[in-house]
Amino acid sequence: MGKEVLVVDKLNMHYETLDGPVAAVKDVSFVLNEGESFGLVGESGCGKTSVAMSLLQLQADNAKISSGSIKLEGKELVGMTENELRTVRWDGISIVFQGAMNAWNPVAKIGEQIREAIREHRPDNTKQENTQKIEELFNIVGLDNSIMDRYPHELSGGMKQRAIIALALSCDPKVVIADEPTTALDVVIQDQILKELKKVQNLLGLSLIYISHDIAVIAEMTDNMAVMYAGSVVEMGPTANIFNKPKHAYTRLLLESTPSVVGKRKKLRSLDGEPPSLINENKGCSFSPRCPEPSKECKNQELDMKLVEISKGHWADLCCVSCG
Amino acid sequence: MAEYIIRRTLQMIVVFFIFLVSSYLLFNAIPGNAFQNLLLNPDLPPDAYEKVLKTYGLDKPIMERVQLYVVNFFKGDFGYSYKYYPKTPIELIAERLPRTLMLFAIVNIVAFYTGFLVGKVLAWRRGSKSETWITVTSVFSYTVFYPWFALMMLWFFGYKMGWFPIGKFLYPEKWYDAPWDSDVIFVLMIKFTVIISVIQFMAYLLTRGIESLTQRRNIRFGSLIAIFIGSYLFWNTGDALTKKPYAADIAYHMILPVVVVTIVAFAGTALLTRTTMVEVIKEDYILTARAKGLSQKRIRDRHAARTALLPVVTSFIFTIVTIIDGSVLTETIFSWPGMGQLLLQSVLEEDIPVAMATFSFVGIFALIAHLVADISYSYLDPRIRIKSQG
Ligand SMILES: Nc1ncnc2c1ncn2[C@@H]1O[C@H](COP(=O)(O)OP(=O)(O)OP(=O)(O)O)[C@@H](O)[C@H]1O
Ligand code: SF4
Ligand SMILES: [Mg+2]
Repeated sequence: MGKEVLVVDKLNMHYETLDGPVAAVKDVSFVLNEGESFGLVGESGCGKTSVAMSLLQLQADNAKISSGSIKLEGKELVGMTENELRTVRWDGISIVFQGAMNAWNPVAKIGEQIREAIREHRPDNTKQENTQKIEELFNIVGLDNSIMDRYPHELSGGMKQRAIIALALSCDPKVVIADEPTTALDVVIQDQILKELKKVQNLLGLSLIYISHDIAVIAEMTDNMAVMYAGSVVEMGPTANIFNKPKHAYTRLLLESTPSVVGKRKKLRSLDGEPPSLINENKGCSFSPRCPEPSKECKNQELDMKLVEISKGHWADLCCVSCG
Repeated sequence: MAEYIIRRTLQMIVVFFIFLVSSYLLFNAIPGNAFQNLLLNPDLPPDAYEKVLKTYGLDKPIMERVQLYVVNFFKGDFGYSYKYYPKTPIELIAERLPRTLMLFAIVNIVAFYTGFLVGKVLAWRRGSKSETWITVTSVFSYTVFYPWFALMMLWFFGYKMGWFPIGKFLYPEKWYDAPWDSDVIFVLMIKFTVIISVIQFMAYLLTRGIESLTQRRNIRFGSLIAIFIGSYLFWNTGDALTKKPYAADIAYHMILPVVVVTIVAFAGTALLTRTTMVEVIKEDYILTARAKGLSQKRIRDRHAARTALLPVVTSFIFTIVTIIDGSVLTETIFSWPGMGQLLLQSVLEEDIPVAMATFSFVGIFALIAHLVADISYSYLDPRIRIKSQG
């Protein structure tokens, strides 16, 4: 494992709404090492995209980072001015957005849109150098060079997604975030794109944050992972550890509700109920209303949400750890 | 593409033919047989009488007359003006057209640019105080009763303040011993405007391939300066120097109408740009552009405004069609002797050949504008492909 590239510490972010603040990211901390792939998993609405957007500080206008720190190679990103952030974006951290199908401007050529990003961060490059760079990228993600002069509507979904990955890699960023990069694709293409991404990650030694609601994909793609529930990380550690010894009841349920790619066949469980509203501050375990086997203590816990280390590098929520 | 244009041109000819026949029949329906007007003129020499009778087939039944007119029209023979006999309608139009073109070309270019600029800034600053105020002002100028507004401006700036001339397109006393006709000056001014626009446009096209943005900007700026120096030299040497005072006189007379019509005309573009762009800003690719670390200005101009341009350009090209009929009001208020006045006069005075020719001209203009709209749309939006069979 290389050095720490990205260190997120006690990050809190909320959306101001008419009903009050929606706490979408609560005390999230994690570390991304160089060349590592880090997974972020949780059901829809748990705040995965909110974390990603906070890292780039591209949150919606009503979003506010209230506290915490994000350090990219030791440089603090929280509190940077817009102009300072511009130099960090894409050059430091690039992102493949959820639903990247619409991430291309429909009236500009693919090559031109990639070129534009490189031009912004490498203003001294010649045209030749940029063209060469784009051809290299296309080669890596398995696209033909002719794609450069095509418009987005002329490409299939899979090709667009490959091109997006090329775009994300165009400035050799230190960290790449992939936010559910395959949701809009059909299953076969999804698989291809995942393989491609995995290949690229190994090839280039990317530091990757992979976001998905599908824990099976996370298993395939990542070295370390964090499980998010209602804005908080409830369990975090090496992916293999979490799959073998899930500690938190929510993680266990997530695993049991997903068809297994590895290991023996087992009966699937369904996850009932809705995630809690993020508007109210809840004490204790936020999962307890849906927890299938809460112990007596769980119900009236007054403990704050807090991660404790249960084995080396494997953290879980204090509530769940203490009630067994 | 070529095939598409040919197909469309053929279609346009058919449409134009229908247009021509219907206008003829409409004029024919005017009570009092306007076509016979000229023949009632007692001063008309007998040979001219015969000629008019023969050219228009006035003693023949209606269907034959229509046929005669259409055939003559396509041969390029539009007959004679009843009022200014023996001038032909074409001569009259040729005299008036440059004046209208000059005025309205400038108005439209200025209105489009300011409208687009204001619209995109409004959309970008959505929710701010300045946005509210400018939007309210735009809505006012979009909805204001135009003749009233024009007269108020004329009264205030022309009469009360005395800054600008009231009406006319030149001071007759200045032109009393002028060696040229005003048309010569108009044509020179139009040529000048077109040439500098083309040069600027070419400079823009040629610099598009330059990779370094700063270099690109510098070269464009340099070309602008070159154009300024070039224009200065042009107007201060040789032939143009002697024409300069007259051109300046016309330009001075143009200021007020240009400003007034621009104020009224820019608002439509501004509001439309704002509306489309507010939608575009929500698109995912704007987020991508932000994530790429591009500057606000570049995201606004290159991504948001560029896509928002599509409906704006279409609507703009269609408003160009209304230049000539719209000019009726403007030219009457500002006593600007252009196509609009010609159209109005010829209809009021039942100068049928001139009215017909003017209308046909408007018709051709409208058809061409539609074609241009379609073609430019396909260039602006790559998603629209003009298929040769489509
Ligand atoms: N602009 C906003 N204003 C108010 N609330 C928002 C806004 N954006 C997101 N939220 C809320 O914040 C919470 C977290 O949303 P987020 O998009 O981060 O979830 P996610 O984990 O990415 O979900 P998904 O898997 O569906 O993408 C959700 O409850 C959502 O409703
Ligand atoms: S703390 Fe208790 S209620 Fe919460 S998830 Fe763990 S077992 Fe369930
Ligand atoms: Mg999301």
